[in-house]
Amino acid sequence: MAANKGKGVLSRPALVLGGLAFVLLVLVVIFFTGGVGEKVKRFVDANVPKSPETSGASAAAVKTVTLFFISDDDDALHKETREIAAGPTAADEAERALAELVRGSEKGFLSPLPPQTKVRQVFVAKDGLATVDFSRDIADKFAYGSSSELAAVYAVVDTLVYNFEAIKKVVILVEGSERDTLGGHVDLSRAFSPDYSLVAK
Amino acid sequence: MRISRTTRAAISAAVLTALSVCLLLTAGALAGQARRIQTVVIDPGHGGIETGAKGRFGNLEKDITLSISLKLKALIEKNMGFEVVLTRDRDVDVSLENRSAAANNHKAGLFISIHANGAVQKKAAGSETFFLSLNATDEETRRLAYLENNSNDLQTHIDPSTDDDLMMILWDMAQTAYVKESSRLAEFVQIELDSMLGLRNRGIKQAPFKILRGVACPAILVEAAFLSNPDEEQKLASDAYQNRVAEAIYRGLARFLKLTE
Repeated sequence: MAANKGKGVLSRPALVLGGLAFVLLVLVVIFFTGGVGEKVKRFVDANVPKSPETSGASAAAVKTVTLFFISDDDDALHKETREIAAGPTAADEAERALAELVRGSEKGFLSPLPPQTKVRQVFVAKDGLATVDFSRDIADKFAYGSSSELAAVYAVVDTLVYNFEAIKKVVILVEGSERDTLGGHVDLSRAFSPDYSLVAK
Repeated sequence: MRISRTTRAAISAAVLTALSVCLLLTAGALAGQARRIQTVVIDPGHGGIETGAKGRFGNLEKDITLSISLKLKALIEKNMGFEVVLTRDRDVDVSLENRSAAANNHKAGLFISIHANGAVQKKAAGSETFFLSLNATDEETRRLAYLENNSNDLQTHIDPSTDDDLMMILWDMAQTAYVKESSRLAEFVQIELDSMLGLRNRGIKQAPFKILRGVACPAILVEAAFLSNPDEEQKLASDAYQNRVAEAIYRGLARFLKLTE
């Protein structure tokens, strides 16, 4: 009985100690694994800030976009690809794509927009309507005929809708306001859907 | 009480019948009228500070369009019994809205906008005739289906004195009811341009041109040739070529009228 009691008494502190040791062990494990997890996270954050999947080659992420230019040989719009900085939003990328469109072709195509044109802002609404605001140069620096005005408008609209899934239709503003036309022909009061029939096959 | 109720019912019925008869008669009269074209409106593109396209030799689209329009007006007045109204008869600025409003206020039966083209490409050449591309929203497509069968409604139901949103919307889509006729008119005019000018035939095309959208009758926009092309610029500036353009449009018009009468 006494022996049994003694065993029982002895085993109780042993259990308590064992329990405490186990709890301590768990805490230590949690502390270290938690700490390691935190360190790994910080490592990733610090070195590949925006897109971990492209961590291999270049530091800055790029997006390849297709721009629409004019050829001297026919009446169609011609595609040319260009790399722009990616992200963070579709609107930011759209602004960069349009700036490249204004900057012109690297393959000898002609520009549909006056070179002085500035892209003031692109806003993309949730319903897919992109509103593009150009500086007044887009209207003032070129005496448009029907063909050149159609080319200017659809180079912009096609570039945006072709490259950005978030954009379905485009409204063009000039210097922050609505305007009838760029040069007396194409109606700017409504949103444009893209017209790929003007694009060379 | 009983008598007055019956009387009231009888009066209402009589008034309603009278109104319906009136409406039917007016609608019938207007339908008859709409078939007979009385006025052709010619729109010389651009004007004033709005020069339009510029040629290398300094010719301006606004001057060439006015010159061709005056020749076309003379031809129509001489050979057809129509009144011809120009949206401008000298070198002045006229807004696109005022041009289509002028056409609608004169109850235009046909609307022809005259332009000379401009392209970035120097080689771009030829004549083409446009009619309006719809690019309509679902709501508009539904209204279009109705208007195509009831095109007189546009002229009867829109009171120009009201300036509310509904009127704006209706005028804004006035042309949608006439797109089929406009395409036919464009086709005939383009055939004649092709045979008379000896230029590249660029065919008939659709575009969302502001000037065509608000016009409540068959409406086309003719691009006589390219001012941006030096060869064609010199042609466009010559009296003989302008005469041929006017003659071609006149012949196309005559073919269209023959078919619709």
